[in-house]
Amino acid sequence: MERRSRLQLSRLPDITAMKQQQLPAYQLHFSATMVFSIFFASGVFCLFMGIFLILSAKSIQKVEINYTKTCGNCAKLREDAFNHNKICTCSIPFVLAKSMEGNVFMYYKLYGFYQNLYRYILSRSNSQLLSKDLKAVEDCAPFKVSHKEIPFAPCGAIANSMFNDTIILSYNLNSSIHIQVPMLKTGITWWTDKYVKFKNPGANNLTDKFAGTTKPPYWPKPIYELDPDDPENNGFLNDDFIVWMRTAAFPTFKKLYRRLHRIHYFIEGLPAGNYSFNITYNFPVTKFQGEKSVVLSTLTWSGGSSLFLGLAYTVTGAMTWLASFAMLAIHFMLKQRKASTSKWQSKALKGQSRK
Amino acid sequence: MFCSKKKLLEVERVVKANDREYNEKFQYADNRIHTSKYNLLTFLPINLFEQFQRVANAYFLFLLILQLIPEISSLTWFTTFVPLVLVIMMTAVKDATDDYFRHKSDDQVNNRQSEVLKDSRLQNEKWMNVKVGDIIKLENNQFVAADLLLLSSSEPHGLCYIETAELDGETNLKVRHALSVTSELGADISRLARFDGTVVCEAPNNKLDKFTGVLTWKNCKHPLNNEKIILRGCILRNTGWCFGMVIFAGPDTKLMQNSGKTKFKRTSIDRFMNILVLWIFGFLVCLGIILAIGNSIWENQVGGQFRTFLFWNEGEKNSVFSGFLTFWSYIIILNTVVPISLYVSMEVIRLGHSYFINWDRKMYYSGKVIPAEARTTTLNEELGQVEYVFSDKTGTLTQNVMTFKKCSINGRIYGEVNDDLGQKTEITKLMESIKQGDPKVREFFRLLAVCHTVMSEENNAGQLVYQVQSPDEGALVTAARNFGFVFKSRTPETITIEELGTLVTYQLLAFLDFNNVRKRMSVIVRNPDGQIKLYSKGADIILFEKLLPSHEDLRSLTSDHISEFAGEGLRTLAIAYRDLDDKYFKEWQKMLEDANASTDERDEWIAELYEEIERDLMLLGATAVEDKLQEGVIETVTSLSLANIKIWILTGDKQETAINIGYACNILTDDMNDVFVISGGTATEVKEELRKAKENLFGQNRSFSNGLVDCEKRQQLELSSVGEETVTGEYALIINGHSLAHALESDVGNDLLELACMCKTVVCCRVTPLQKAQVVELVKKHRHAVTLAIGDGANDVSMIKSAHIGVGISGQEGLQAVLASDYSFAQFRYLQRLLLVHGRWSYYRMCKFLYYFFYKNFAFTLVHFWFGFFCGFSAQTVYDQWFITLFNIVYTSLPVLAMGIFDQDVSAQNSMDYPQLYEPGQLNLLFNKRKFFICVVHGIYTSLVIFFIPYGAFYDVAGEDGQHIADYQSFAVTLATSLVIVVSVQMALDTSYWTIINHVFIWGSIVTYFCILFTTHSNGMFGVFPNQFPFVGNVWHSLTQKCIWLVILLTTVASVMPVVMFRFLKVDLYPTRSDQIRQQQRTEKKARPRRSQRSHTRRSSSRRSGYAFAHQEGYGKLITSGKNMRVQSPPPPTGLEKTLYNSTSRIEDLCKKTTDTVSSLGQDRTVQL
Repeated sequence: MERRSRLQLSRLPDITAMKQQQLPAYQLHFSATMVFSIFFASGVFCLFMGIFLILSAKSIQKVEINYTKTCGNCAKLREDAFNHNKICTCSIPFVLAKSMEGNVFMYYKLYGFYQNLYRYILSRSNSQLLSKDLKAVEDCAPFKVSHKEIPFAPCGAIANSMFNDTIILSYNLNSSIHIQVPMLKTGITWWTDKYVKFKNPGANNLTDKFAGTTKPPYWPKPIYELDPDDPENNGFLNDDFIVWMRTAAFPTFKKLYRRLHRIHYFIEGLPAGNYSFNITYNFPVTKFQGEKSVVLSTLTWSGGSSLFLGLAYTVTGAMTWLASFAMLAIHFMLKQRKASTSKWQSKALKGQSRK
Repeated sequence: MFCSKKKLLEVERVVKANDREYNEKFQYADNRIHTSKYNLLTFLPINLFEQFQRVANAYFLFLLILQLIPEISSLTWFTTFVPLVLVIMMTAVKDATDDYFRHKSDDQVNNRQSEVLKDSRLQNEKWMNVKVGDIIKLENNQFVAADLLLLSSSEPHGLCYIETAELDGETNLKVRHALSVTSELGADISRLARFDGTVVCEAPNNKLDKFTGVLTWKNCKHPLNNEKIILRGCILRNTGWCFGMVIFAGPDTKLMQNSGKTKFKRTSIDRFMNILVLWIFGFLVCLGIILAIGNSIWENQVGGQFRTFLFWNEGEKNSVFSGFLTFWSYIIILNTVVPISLYVSMEVIRLGHSYFINWDRKMYYSGKVIPAEARTTTLNEELGQVEYVFSDKTGTLTQNVMTFKKCSINGRIYGEVNDDLGQKTEITKLMESIKQGDPKVREFFRLLAVCHTVMSEENNAGQLVYQVQSPDEGALVTAARNFGFVFKSRTPETITIEELGTLVTYQLLAFLDFNNVRKRMSVIVRNPDGQIKLYSKGADIILFEKLLPSHEDLRSLTSDHISEFAGEGLRTLAIAYRDLDDKYFKEWQKMLEDANASTDERDEWIAELYEEIERDLMLLGATAVEDKLQEGVIETVTSLSLANIKIWILTGDKQETAINIGYACNILTDDMNDVFVISGGTATEVKEELRKAKENLFGQNRSFSNGLVDCEKRQQLELSSVGEETVTGEYALIINGHSLAHALESDVGNDLLELACMCKTVVCCRVTPLQKAQVVELVKKHRHAVTLAIGDGANDVSMIKSAHIGVGISGQEGLQAVLASDYSFAQFRYLQRLLLVHGRWSYYRMCKFLYYFFYKNFAFTLVHFWFGFFCGFSAQTVYDQWFITLFNIVYTSLPVLAMGIFDQDVSAQNSMDYPQLYEPGQLNLLFNKRKFFICVVHGIYTSLVIFFIPYGAFYDVAGEDGQHIADYQSFAVTLATSLVIVVSVQMALDTSYWTIINHVFIWGSIVTYFCILFTTHSNGMFGVFPNQFPFVGNVWHSLTQKCIWLVILLTTVASVMPVVMFRFLKVDLYPTRSDQIRQQQRTEKKARPRRSQRSHTRRSSSRRSGYAFAHQEGYGKLITSGKNMRVQSPPPPTGLEKTLYNSTSRIEDLCKKTTDTVSSLGQDRTVQL
């Protein structure tokens, strides 16, 4: 008997809200008022945001100079790999009609360079770049080791294809006085890249530290001689190198090259006037039908935002408004019609269920 | 060729008793049964083979193999391997436990003990060691071990009683008798051991009611029929012992032959998913081909020039080969459209729903302490799509308890009456009348006590126990007993009753037995005063024709009463008597003797004589017996038919009984325009009857050659216009087992089905277990509708197994039905809740889950496709590997699971109150090809928004500190974040029932995403595994940029707003019933909590019920010949009497129950006195 009652108890389902599927719950429902207010509100928000973004994008001052064709002779020279020792420079003058105020950034921009290919992205060795093991090149195919089986440092396709033009901006006060615009090559990388992701094998005497490795095939100089001016800016910690190693998402991309050092003439930014880019042309792009250009740009509150986001917001806002008007019209038309039939309907429904 | 190959194909079986060596030649199956599928050795290969037959598993295996090839692997192999192994292992463990239990139950059955005659003595043997040809001994209340030829028994004339409930669901006892030559063997072991008869008989088959064979013994041939055979699964009742010779053993027994094969049941959603997986795979192949062609072109045009930076170092590759490899790489990347987690989640959701069924307090039967149980956890959403319910009768719809409810005596109604208010009021006092000595009333009960086939018996305690053949007769005799007319005992010539305390013995002069044509039975007795009386009871229509013309008034009055009783669903029976004078009777008796002696046309002659004497009857009145329905059957049936579920009754019972119950539980109603009865005995008759029924149905102006097409067309039309072209009104079809056999075998099967489809209700009576399964299969095959079979006994097992969903009524004696079932509960009425609440919700939730899941994964995966156009089709993934691995199993799994488990559109109460809400499931409106297409389009739209808005924004942009942010990693993080946010918002929109769990999961998922993001991008992780976590620091740089948040915001708005708009307009323009009821629910919630309003009205009908004698012909003969009378004085020689008399059979229980109910009625009367 006792056993039975215990059995009875054990088989008796508990009355808990959970087990009886009666958990207190909020039933999500879109009432007409709610939907319309959401639509109107988000429409207003998007429109304003869009206009605001467009305005700020317009306020950005930007100069872009495509020097693929301009430096045509250099381009041709670079197409032949045997000429890699020959130095080719070219100078591109341009006029800045309006001064660029505030911080000015100089970018290089590549067209049609696929940094996002599957094998390309993989072709790097984070262990090597961290200097954990300089000879860890197994992920770096097809640029692992040289003919003599000496591992490349840095290895991999990304490193090997590093952008190596030198661009110097000079301010031409007049035909005789050319002032080189002071540019900073620091602070152009992410903090985490510079201090976490990349590490040199040692602080000094990089030549020794990189012994047993060789330079990537396309590089003119080994990794520890990238910046002859600043010994700190060498090895894996070279800023240009780090910037290049952060692969771009699309085949057309720009990467930060230098930023304006705001001193002397340039304390307010770049004054209007004549300028020229003096480019040491090293990076071949015509081989893959690519193009390259140099960009000078200022920033706004949201960074170097483009027009697209503003336009997209405006369009979305406008569409939302249109949709809400259409919905409003449909809803009220229906409401009128419903008013006459709803009573009948609910009656019919009830009647049916009771039948 | 076929025959030679199948050597075992038996044509004829030859068995020699007590001769194992001889029988071994034929290699007959032994008595071991195994229903289990695997053993230790075969488990792994068979189970794996079965599992990889599932399209999905095979698909993942294929993907895994692809991922192991380094040239094309674009994702690491463990992303597929780990979940696949997990899934396979889970299923394997489940299958193994299932099979373990099957082994256990097999062992239990196989190890049952039985007494086998071996080496001239009785030895205990396990069932599995019993061989064909053995002679075994059975004792009372034992299960029969194999199909036996009855040799002898404790009862006189080698009779024995068996209960066949496990086989055909009939609970009345059946009689089997041994051949007289063998019954002489008795319990003489030495003689039995010397018995060496040879039986030649039919090969094993599944016909329960047929057996033909010949016993050759001592050079004499004795024909054998079904009467001599005891089948496995029966229980020996009211018989001390019996000996039998094993004819069929183990798998050859009729019981096993009747049990359909265990099939792996799948839901229609599962099957649809299999198709979808194929479609999706086709879709993937298309995408793969597009991308592969793109890759070839790109490599040719652009990549060739770019190769200085990224040359192909190994071998001679060309752009076409590169495209080929890219194809496979993209197949791997895009496979996340159907992730394994989809299957795991579906199982989890179904498991959750199963637990809800187990936990449901409203499906818990306190009477027997039985909660509902979901025995299969994979079929839940199918419960929401049921169109056909096949129900057993006895034990399922009815309680199999008969109660004497009312009577009409001489024009007055006695018994309780329900008035309009549902209260019981007495209108007359029966006891009083008896006390006052109303002769008609006394005659009425006297008749009940005399005219029947009940056997009485005193048990050890001195209580009078009735052995009844049919429970309704038991109810009548017990009723008479309670009113003071106690049937005491009978001999072949006399019937002794105790009339109000005095013993009276009637001489039984003649017994006019029941048969299906006569539909009545009579006895002719001489009372102590020497008067000869004929007492008759039978179907009212038959009996009323035999009345004295002067009884016209009483007849019409009684007729009204009978209609009234029938209207309440009671089984009625008219009662009449006739006084005979001596001379007339003597003449008649002489003629009867002559008739009996004659050889030709004997039966016709006898029938004529019966007709002759059963006339000029005086009407006494009518009885009304209630075949008690299970509780709530009427409400359930009504509600289910409102839900557009068609209920078919499949029963082994007689036609009359079945129809009666059909009316009683509202499956058949008087509103029906016509009820077609198909009971032809031959194929042509059946065909003719079907044709007539159809003509009737459509009118003559239509031809029906294109039957099935019509049927299907109609189904489609039903959506738009209800029965516009065809049937107006409601029809019902009643079909007999024999006719059904003809219909199923011949080409009229389609006609039958067509007719059945048109009818609101179909009742199949006298069907064998296998026929039940065949009917289910027929509907399954041709209607593509979801079928549910519900039953309680072993005879329902095959039907339960073959229907899409099998439901067992638990708490009955046998467990077979429950063991074979997918769901079990104690009461038929719980079916309503199971279908309308649990089933509906399960379907609703599963569909919502699938919609969302596919949407989510299309949005997630197709981004790779768009990105392909910008990364040289190089199979570069957009997100990082961690995100791809975790997206489905961590970031988005729990909210959708919570929705799939907890979501509710309307409350349980409303689901019950508005059965029409069930309809979308039957029409499969919530997840079908169209819905799938919509969800794919939705997913594609979202993926476009998620890809192209960031693409546009990133195209020419710089960060706030001037640094470029258009790098691949920032792009990946932006996309991943907006994807997680967009699908979470979508989830929030889809969840219509926000419980605390939904809140925790949805918000938790987003929080988890950011936590994991920060972790995988942390310095620490990079420091330890630089190659696994290359995204170091990304989140700090990207997610601190305002412009990235603006992108995420815009993506969310742009992908969610259209959805909100479409949903709003849909509810506004085309509200579904569920929308309307939700609306109502909301307004009512504000106003007041509401109770169910449906009133439980009793059926009021004017239908005249033809009484169904629930017993067979031939009992009268047994009684008059005295064959079934126990010889009282000399006790049986074996000393078995103890067990004999101690045994409390089911019938006795039944009698007690009946007694209880009737005596309570009697007591009521006494109180009134």
